[in-house]
Amino acid sequence: MSNSGPHESSNVTHGPKTSPGKLPEDIGSAAEDEQAHEQHGGIMQYMAVFAALCFLTTMSFLTYSPYWPWKDEPQVGWAFMMAVSCTKALLVVLFFMHVLWEANWKYVLTIPAAMMAIFLAIMLIPDIGLRNRMVSQERALHMARGSDVLLLEKASSAGEVENHEHE
Amino acid sequence: MNAPAASIGHESHGHHGPVLQYQPGLPLTRGKLIMWLFLSTEIMFFAALLGSYVVLRFGAAVWPKPHHVHLSEPIGAFNTFVLICSSVTVVLALEAARANKRSLAKAWMLLTLILGSLFLGVKAYEYSSKFDHGIYPWAPRGRIYERPDLYYGSAVRARLSEPAILAKIKELDGRPESELSDAEITGRRRLKQVKDMVNNPDQQAFDLAVVADQIMPLPGEGSDSHGHGGGLNDTFAWLQLPAVIPGGNMWASTYFFLTGFHAIHVIVGLIVFCILLLYELGPKTAGMIESAGLYWHFVDLVWIFLFPLLYLF
Repeated sequence: MSNSGPHESSNVTHGPKTSPGKLPEDIGSAAEDEQAHEQHGGIMQYMAVFAALCFLTTMSFLTYSPYWPWKDEPQVGWAFMMAVSCTKALLVVLFFMHVLWEANWKYVLTIPAAMMAIFLAIMLIPDIGLRNRMVSQERALHMARGSDVLLLEKASSAGEVENHEHE
Repeated sequence: MNAPAASIGHESHGHHGPVLQYQPGLPLTRGKLIMWLFLSTEIMFFAALLGSYVVLRFGAAVWPKPHHVHLSEPIGAFNTFVLICSSVTVVLALEAARANKRSLAKAWMLLTLILGSLFLGVKAYEYSSKFDHGIYPWAPRGRIYERPDLYYGSAVRARLSEPAILAKIKELDGRPESELSDAEITGRRRLKQVKDMVNNPDQQAFDLAVVADQIMPLPGEGSDSHGHGGGLNDTFAWLQLPAVIPGGNMWASTYFFLTGFHAIHVIVGLIVFCILLLYELGPKTAGMIESAGLYWHFVDLVWIFLFPLLYLF
C-alpha cells in the first residue's frame, strides 16, 4: 500500500466503487452493458447451432432405423446416443444459454451441481441398482424374468402358425 | 499481508486509514444469478430422477423394449425437434428485444408458446395411447401384469366373469357372421379360446402365455406407430382385459414420473411466456426474457436426455 497513486486511477482499474453491504445502483446496468457489448455471433450462429442440433437428433434416431449396423450390440447404440445427447446438451448450454460468453462464475455454479448430480446417481447403485441380487421369495415369485419374455415370444410364434392354419 | 483480490484499495486516505473497495459480487444481473442458482438445483433434481431411472433400468431383470410399451420413436423424435425449435425462437425473441424490435420479439415469443403447447399436445396424445393399452402409473386402472402366471390367469377370469362383460360377450356371440368384420370373427374365436384356457383347471404356464399373447401381443419392431398388435384388447375396446408386459409396471412408473415432471416444467414455462407476452418486449425487458429463456433451454436440455433414454434405449 502506498500513498503515491492518484485516487481516481483505482476507480478506473477496479470497477465501480462500493461500500460494504450495499450494492451500487449501476451494477445491474453495468452487467447488461457488458453483455450488450459482447459478440454472441448473431443470428447466423444460432441457425448453425440449430442445424447441428437437428442433425444430431437425426443421428440419435439413426440407431432406431434399419440402417444401424450394431443392432445385436445395444451397448454400442447406447454409448453413441449418450455421446450425441451430451454434444447436443453442450451446444444448448454454450450457445443458447450463452455460457460460452459468460465470465468464470459459470464454473462456480455448474461444476458443483454436476458433481453432486453424478454422486447422486452413484449413491443409488447399491440399494436400487443391485436390488435384484438378493430378493425375498415372494418378490422372486412375482417379478418378471427373461424366461417370461421367451415364453411370450414362443406363444406368439405358435399363435401365428395357428392363424395361418385357420386362413 | 497480501491484499485479497479487490478487498483493499491501493491507496489510502492518509490519516483516515485504507479505503475498502469491493468488486460487485458477480458480473451478472440479480435476476440472472437467481435463475442460475435455481437451475443448479434443477440440475440436481433431474439428475436424481434420471439417475434413478438409469439405475432402476439397468438393475432390473427384464425391461420392456420401447415397442413393447407402445412407445413411438418417430413421435418422440418429432417432439425433440419441436422443443429444439422453441429454444431457437426464445433466443431469437431475446435478440429481437435487445435490438428493440418489439413486435418481432413478441412474434418469436408467441411462436415459442405455440411450439411449447404443441409439445404438450403430442405428449397428451402419447399418454392417451398408453392409457388405451391399460398402461397407467398405478392400480386400479393399470392393467399390466409382470408374468403370465396363475395370478394373471385369475385376473383375466375375474374380468371375463364381470356381468357387463358377460352381457357384451353374449351379444357378440349372438350376432351372425355376416354382420362381423374379419377381425371380429377371428377375435370371437380367440376370445372363446381364451375363456376355455383360463377356466381349464389343468392349465400350463404356456397356456397362460398364449392367453397373454391373444389379449395383447408384445408388438414386434415392425408394428405401427401405435403399437397395435391386433390382440383382443384392440379388436374389442370394451374388453379391457389384463395384459402381460414383463417389467412393464416399473417402466410405467418411471416413464410417467419422468415425463410428468418434465411436462410440469413445460407448463410452468408456458405460463411464464404468457406473462411475458403481456409486457412490451424491448431492451428493458430483455433481462426477463433472458431468465425465462434460460429456464426454457434447461427444459429442452432435460428432454435431450429423456428422449434417447426413454425411446431408444
